Amino acid sequence: MDDNNKPGPLRSRPTLRELAYFGGVSLVLLVSLAIAPAKNYFSDWRHYQKSYLKIAAERQSGTLVRSFHGGIRQTWIAKLGVVDRCESCHVNMNGALVGATAQPFRKHPPIPHEIDQFGCVTCHRGQGPATSVEEAHYTTEAWEQPLLPAKYLESGCGQCHLGPLEGAPKLSEGRNLLSSMGCVHCHNVSQPDGNQLTPGDNPPPLTHIAEKTSREWIYAWIKNPQAYAASASMPNFLLNDQDAADISAFLMAQSTPSAASKVKIKPVAAASPSGADAATEATTLYGASFCSSCHAVQNEAGNLVGGNFGPELTRVGNKVNPDWLRRWLNNPAAYHPDTRMPHYRMDDKQVALLSTFLLAKKDNDLLANVHLSPSTADSVAHGKKLVTEAGCAACHQINGVNPPQNFAPDLTRVGSRALAQVVFAPGMKHNLPDYIAAKIHDPRSFGPGLKMPKFTLTDSQTDALATALLAQTDRAATYPKELIISGARPSNYHPGGDAGKLMDDLRCLSCHAINGNGGDMAPDLTWEGSAVQRAWLEEFLKNPNTLRPALIRRMPKFNLNPREIKTLADYISVAYQGPGFDSQTLDTHSLNADSAARGKQLFYSKYGCQSCHIADYKNDKGYVGPALTSVGTRLTPVWTYKWLKDPNALRAGTLMPNFGLKDEEARDLTAFLMTLKAKQGGGK
Amino acid sequence: MATTIKSEFERIRNTEVWRTIFRSGSGSSNLHRSQAVQQNIFLHLFSVKVRSRALEFSPTWYLGALTLSTFFILIATGILLMFYYHPSVPQAYADMKDLQFVVASGVFLRNLHRWSAHAMVFLVFAHMFKVFYRGAYRPPRQFNWVIGVFLLLITLLLSYTGYLLPWDQLAFWAVTVGSNIAKAVPLMGKQIRFLMLGGNEVNANALLRFYVLHCVILPLAAILLVGVHFWRIRKDGGLYVPEKKQL
Repeated sequence: MDDNNKPGPLRSRPTLRELAYFGGVSLVLLVSLAIAPAKNYFSDWRHYQKSYLKIAAERQSGTLVRSFHGGIRQTWIAKLGVVDRCESCHVNMNGALVGATAQPFRKHPPIPHEIDQFGCVTCHRGQGPATSVEEAHYTTEAWEQPLLPAKYLESGCGQCHLGPLEGAPKLSEGRNLLSSMGCVHCHNVSQPDGNQLTPGDNPPPLTHIAEKTSREWIYAWIKNPQAYAASASMPNFLLNDQDAADISAFLMAQSTPSAASKVKIKPVAAASPSGADAATEATTLYGASFCSSCHAVQNEAGNLVGGNFGPELTRVGNKVNPDWLRRWLNNPAAYHPDTRMPHYRMDDKQVALLSTFLLAKKDNDLLANVHLSPSTADSVAHGKKLVTEAGCAACHQINGVNPPQNFAPDLTRVGSRALAQVVFAPGMKHNLPDYIAAKIHDPRSFGPGLKMPKFTLTDSQTDALATALLAQTDRAATYPKELIISGARPSNYHPGGDAGKLMDDLRCLSCHAINGNGGDMAPDLTWEGSAVQRAWLEEFLKNPNTLRPALIRRMPKFNLNPREIKTLADYISVAYQGPGFDSQTLDTHSLNADSAARGKQLFYSKYGCQSCHIADYKNDKGYVGPALTSVGTRLTPVWTYKWLKDPNALRAGTLMPNFGLKDEEARDLTAFLMTLKAKQGGGK
Repeated sequence: MATTIKSEFERIRNTEVWRTIFRSGSGSSNLHRSQAVQQNIFLHLFSVKVRSRALEFSPTWYLGALTLSTFFILIATGILLMFYYHPSVPQAYADMKDLQFVVASGVFLRNLHRWSAHAMVFLVFAHMFKVFYRGAYRPPRQFNWVIGVFLLLITLLLSYTGYLLPWDQLAFWAVTVGSNIAKAVPLMGKQIRFLMLGGNEVNANALLRFYVLHCVILPLAAILLVGVHFWRIRKDGGLYVPEKKQL
C-alpha cells in the first residue's frame, strides 16, 4: 500500500557528459537560428543606404542625412503590375546628392516620364520586387529577365508608343526596318492596339519576269543579291549552284506575257539617238526627271548617290531587257500595276535617250561566268518545290505558287519569349536580347536547315531591329488601353474622279501624303488648296523646277499637258481645303500698303526673320528657312497668316518657331510677305 | 533554495484559482497524480503512468515525438505564412517574392516550413517502419496502426496540397500531373479530377481548393486523428516496450 502511494523511482540525475551534449546542441541551435535575423540585417540595401549616408555626411550634407528615410522603398503601380524596389539601393535617383557618380547612387538622366508613374522595370526589365543585387539585376533560378543592356533601352518606350517616337530613334528605325526590309511579309508582328505592322517594301511580281530579265541574271541575283546591288533589300538564301539554277529555270517557266508586252514600241535603231550630245542630253533628262530622288547609283568612289525608294540602278544594264525597259519607261503600271513609280509622260525620243543611258550602266564581269545548262522539266519541278519551301511567294507574286500562311514564327510577343522555348546556338549567352540579335544577324548559324535568309544589315540596324522586337512584350499587352499611344494608321484615302485617276497614274501618293494616306518624301497635300494660289499651282505643275531649285530631292517634271494641269489644279484647290481658311480668319481687304510697311518693320526689326529667311536677295543672308522672295505669288494670305500664328498646327514638326504673334502683327507681316511677288517670267 | 521553490509551488497549488482550474487538488499521492492527469483535457490522452523504460531512446527512437514536433513547427510557421499569403492567381507568386525580399526573415520562415514538411514525411515513414519492425502494431494496438495509416495519408496530402500554393511552374505542373493521375482512375476518374481542381484545369479554383484543404481541413483532420492516436496509446496500455531479451 505504502509503496503504491510513493512516487515511482525517478531517473538518475543527468551526468555531466549529458549536460555537455545538451548544452552543445542548444548552442548550435541558437547560432543557426541567429543566422536568419543576421542575414536579414546584413542585406544589400541596408549596406548601400549606409554608404549613401556616409557619403552624404562626408560632403557635409546634414539636411540630406536628416531627411533620409531608410528602409525598403518601393514604387507600386497596380495597373502596370509594377512593384519596384530598385530605389531601396538606388537612393539618389533624383540627384539630391550632387556628384555621386558610382552606382547605385548615380542620378537618373532626365526622361519625359515621372519614374513613380511608370516604375523601373517597365523600361529596364530586371526583377523589380527583388532587394538583392543578384536577384534584381541578373538571371537567377526563378527569374529569366535580367536587366536590359542599355543599347536596347528604347524598346521600353515602344511598349506604349506604337508609332514613330522622336526621342527613340533606334526604336523608330527598327520599326521602319521591320516594315521596309519586308520582315513582316513572313512574320506577323501585331501591336497591343491590334495594329499589324505592314510591309513597306514593294517586292516586284515575278509573274512576267521573262520579259524583264534573263535566266542568267536571276541565277546570279538569287545566289547573291548584294553582288548586283549593294543596297538590295532582297536577302541571301545561301543557295547552292544547282538549287539556284533550278529556281531560275522555274521562274522563267512560270512567266506569262504582261499587258505591257502588247504595247508596240519603235525598233531600237530608229528611236535610239547616239553621240556625245545624246549622252549629255540623257544625263540632263535623268537629272531633270529626278530619277535619283528614288533610285541610287554607285559612284566611282563606291558611295551610293540617290534615294532608296526604288531599286539601285548601278548595274541595271546587266539586268533588264532593252525592250522591257522602254516599255517600262513608257508606262510602268502596264507591267507592275502596284508599282510606286510614276507614269512620266515621256515621248519616244526621251524614252530612247533614257533607256540607252540606263543600259550603259553595267558591269561586264557580273554575268560572265554564269553558264547554265538548259532547263528541263525536272529542274523546273525542283525549282518550284524550292520556291514553295523557301516562301518566295510571301513577298513576290509567282504564278502557280500561293503565298504561304503562318509561314514564319509570330513575333507579336517575342520580347517576352520564355528562355525555355528558345534554342540557343552553341556558345552563345543565354539571354533574349543576344538571341534576337544573333537570329537577325545570322539566322543560319542556328542550324543548316533553317529557312530564314541572311539579310545584309549593319550592326546598328541589327540593334535597331532587336530594339523594335524587344518592345513586343507580354507586359505591353496587359497595359491599360489609355496608356497605349497608337501610331498614325494609314487611311485608305484615294482621290476620286478624273483627277483621282490622274493622281493615281502619277503616283502622287508614293511621295505625298493626303488625308493620312501616302508617303513621307514630299510635303503633305491635305490642305494644299488652302495653302497655295491657284495660278502658282498651275505654273508649278507645268514646271516644278521653280520651287526650291537647290534641293536634290524634288518633284520631277511629268510633262503634263494643259488639260491635265487644269484638272489637277482644279481638284487640288477645291478638294484640299483645310478648316478655317476663310475671310473670317483674315479679311484680305485689311492688307494695305500701311500694313505692309508695318510688317516690313516687324520682319526686319522686331522678329529678325532675315536671320533664317531671305526676302531680298541683295541684303538678306538667311538660309535656314526657305527663301521668301516670291512667297506673295505662291502662298495664300490666309495660309500665311495662320502659319505665322502657329506653324506647328499646319506642319507638325516644322523648324519654324511659334513667336506668339498678336493678331495685328501677323496681319501686318502677311501684308508685307504678300508684296514679295515673283518677277514676271523670272520664276524666282 | 530548492525547498523554498517547492513550498512556493505548494502554496500556488493551494490557491483558489489553481483549484478551480485543476480540480484534482494538491497532494503527491499516486491517486492525486492520476487524477491530475485524468481530469485534464490535454493530459488525459496520455497514460497515467509511463514506464521509465519507455522514455529511453531505443524502444521508440523518439520518432513519434519528433513527428509531433515537426507538426507543431509546421503549424506555427504555417500560421505566420498565412499572414502574408493570398490564395489568388495574380497575388500568390508575388507573395512568395515578398516573403523572399521584404518580409523580415521571410525566407527563413518559408524554408523552415518547407524543411519541416519534408522532415515530417520522412519521420512519419520512419515511425511506421519502426512500429512495423518492432511488431508494435500487433494486438491490442492494431486499431492505432490503422489510425497511423490514415495519419500518413493526411501527411502526404498536406505535402501535396502545400506544393501548389507557391503557384510557380513547379507547383503548376506537379499538380497538373498529379490530378491527371487521379483522372486515370477507372469510370469516375474525370469526376475525381473535377472535384480535386474545382474545374478541368489547374486554375484559380484549384488554388483556392488546395489552400482550404492545406490550411483548414487537413490540419483539423490531422489534429483530431493525432488526438485519437495518443488517446489510444493510453488505452492500449502505453507505448509498446519490448521486454528486455531474456536469453
